[in-house]
Amino acid sequence: MRVDPFYVAVNLSGALDQTQATQQQLSQELSSGLRVSTIGTDPVAAAQNVTLLNSVDQDDSFTQTTSLTQGQLQVTDSTLGSVVTQLNQALSLADAANNGTLNSTDLKSISNQLSGIRDEVLSLANTAYQGVYLFGGSQTSGAPFTLDSSTSPATVTYNGNSDVNTLVAPTGQSIQLNIPGNQVFTAATANVLGTLNSLVADYANGTAGSGVADTTALNSALNYVSQQRVTIDNSIGQLTDASGAATEQGTQLTTVQTDLMQADIASVSTQYSLAQSQQTALISVITALGQGSLFNKL
Amino acid sequence: MGTISSAINLITSALNADQAALDVTSNNVSNASNEAYTREVPNWSENQPIYINGEAIGSGVTVTGGVSQRDRVLDQRLDQQQQLSASSTSLLSALTTLQDNFTPASSSSTTGDIGTDITNFFDTYTTLESAPSNDADRQAVLSSATTLASDISRTAASLNAQQASLDQSATTVVSQVNTLTTALAQVNQQIQSTSPNSDAGVLEDERQSDLSQLSQLIGINQVTTEQNGMSVTTTGGQLLASEGTAIPITSGDVDGVTHFYLGQTDITSALASGGGQIGGILTARDQSIPTTLASLDQLAYGIATNINTVNNAGTDLDGDNGNAGNIFNAPTQVAGSAAALTVVMTDPNKIAAAGIGDGTGDNSNAVAAANLAKQNIIGGETPSNFYSNLVSTLGSSVSETTTENTALTASVTQLQTQVSSLSGVSLDDEASNLELFQRAYQAASQVFSILNTVYASAINIGVETAVS
Repeated sequence: MRVDPFYVAVNLSGALDQTQATQQQLSQELSSGLRVSTIGTDPVAAAQNVTLLNSVDQDDSFTQTTSLTQGQLQVTDSTLGSVVTQLNQALSLADAANNGTLNSTDLKSISNQLSGIRDEVLSLANTAYQGVYLFGGSQTSGAPFTLDSSTSPATVTYNGNSDVNTLVAPTGQSIQLNIPGNQVFTAATANVLGTLNSLVADYANGTAGSGVADTTALNSALNYVSQQRVTIDNSIGQLTDASGAATEQGTQLTTVQTDLMQADIASVSTQYSLAQSQQTALISVITALGQGSLFNKL
Repeated sequence: MGTISSAINLITSALNADQAALDVTSNNVSNASNEAYTREVPNWSENQPIYINGEAIGSGVTVTGGVSQRDRVLDQRLDQQQQLSASSTSLLSALTTLQDNFTPASSSSTTGDIGTDITNFFDTYTTLESAPSNDADRQAVLSSATTLASDISRTAASLNAQQASLDQSATTVVSQVNTLTTALAQVNQQIQSTSPNSDAGVLEDERQSDLSQLSQLIGINQVTTEQNGMSVTTTGGQLLASEGTAIPITSGDVDGVTHFYLGQTDITSALASGGGQIGGILTARDQSIPTTLASLDQLAYGIATNINTVNNAGTDLDGDNGNAGNIFNAPTQVAGSAAALTVVMTDPNKIAAAGIGDGTGDNSNAVAAANLAKQNIIGGETPSNFYSNLVSTLGSSVSETTTENTALTASVTQLQTQVSSLSGVSLDDEASNLELFQRAYQAASQVFSILNTVYASAINIGVETAVS
């Protein structure tokens, strides 16, 4: 059969174009380090890339969020710690007042000291972190507790609500972020501020033994606050765990994502060198075949 | 019984024939680089013998021009494959441009990636959960919403622009088709009048060249008619050229998109599946881009309406209960949502992070918004998975077209090799023929010269030196 006289021009130069295109693609992979630079290269990988990056970003973002939230929870925890310290102090003062050895002046002095503690606890209950009142439920823009000293005993009003905020971790776990103030300081069964107010009133007139019942109530209120503190401690623990898990998952997924999208440098280099050899070979063939025709011999 | 003069006549015809053969060779060499040219070989025919006393005496040779070496079935096969290949090449080129709008993000480069934008947007709601009244966190929600909206609308605009430019290309291709069918009709007429019964040589080359160029542009069927005429139809069967008459394709605007007609028939969708450049262009314009754009619209519509609904179901920082307003412009219908997507909210205080009736420090509505990222709110998928599907659908179609195109290009090359091996001018062949015909000519002139001497001897019988 007759051969194609244009074989060199069409087929071989076409093959040369092809090796050049291959080299271009490979050198792009080498310079970017990416195997999948367009979605057409590997559609499945490109689609997985979207969901993987989505999870990695979610994990990243959650980890960043937790570091801010940790601060808020720690302030809440240390505030409750201070409340417990104040209440212990109040309790020992009340115990001293109740043992019947103090005169009315001393009792009035204790009443004054208790009033100071009440103010301190009230101020702790009105703690704000970055402009957000920690114990107002979801009413976080104003101080949750106000004191009315015009009555005896003085009264404390809660201006917040019972709302609890939760943070949802990437795993779906809900983590409690706050304890409403009415649950910590003015609970029906363990009214910290109310009891303190009563004690202040009990000793204000210098009558010994009038605060025994309220002291018992204060003791149970102290235990109650400690229990509430456990909730916040749990949240801090959960948040640390969730953040750790998110970081770990993020790292794992980043590895998977990198493996999926990254070029295998060794293999790409080998292919590149192969393409180069092929190009050299093709050029030699074209040069050899292109060396004139029979006309040169006439 | 022959005579010396008949021998001279006979050898003179050989000299003429050799010269004619040399002409054919010269013509082949001249056209060696002409792609449209079909190699010719001299058509040698032995002259009718003369019978004298029942004895046949040869009377030389004649060359009646060159005969083009072509196989019209093979040519037609190449044309058909060319149509498929050209269609897939132009589709692939459009898809390559299209996929550049969806370059995969990497952990180091995420700019402009819609997938990352979606994730970041919902992530800012997660951050807002932890500090629902924080101004910076609220601002972050709006700014991530703006990035998402601008990337989606920019991509949609780019898709629309590509569609418009393909529309323009289609019109250009069709006008080229019309020029070629007119040229084809003229050649048909010439062929029918000059070579009704045989290969038309150079004219046939011209016709085949027209057909081959047409095959690059549009899918066609060729039907040979009487007197070596030809009719060309689209692959859908509509006449483009009937022997000497060309029927131009006309165009008209339908809803901002150019449609094409032959007579009264709208052939746009037939052209899209018919092959040639126009096939690929129209497939990209009418199928690939609209499909991608529709997905993008669905995504934009889903996110905008769901987020707006959630925002209007909570309480914002100003205390608005259930009427905090829209974050994104409210799309009225799915189509066009992507291109029109913008953020209309300017005041971050209007983001409703709190549940209705709860204090402004509540985060239950921010939790609800963040949870949308995990809910199947768009076409039965989460926003991120929906985008992932869009990427995989488009990527697969690019990948399929690439594979198909490689196969078609290879088969075109193969057919081209077959056609060239029959019809292409080989300079080696021509050099050898040249030598052959030159030698034949030399031999014939040698015979002529000897016959001349013999003739002289006959004239000068006895007187050796009178005529030389």
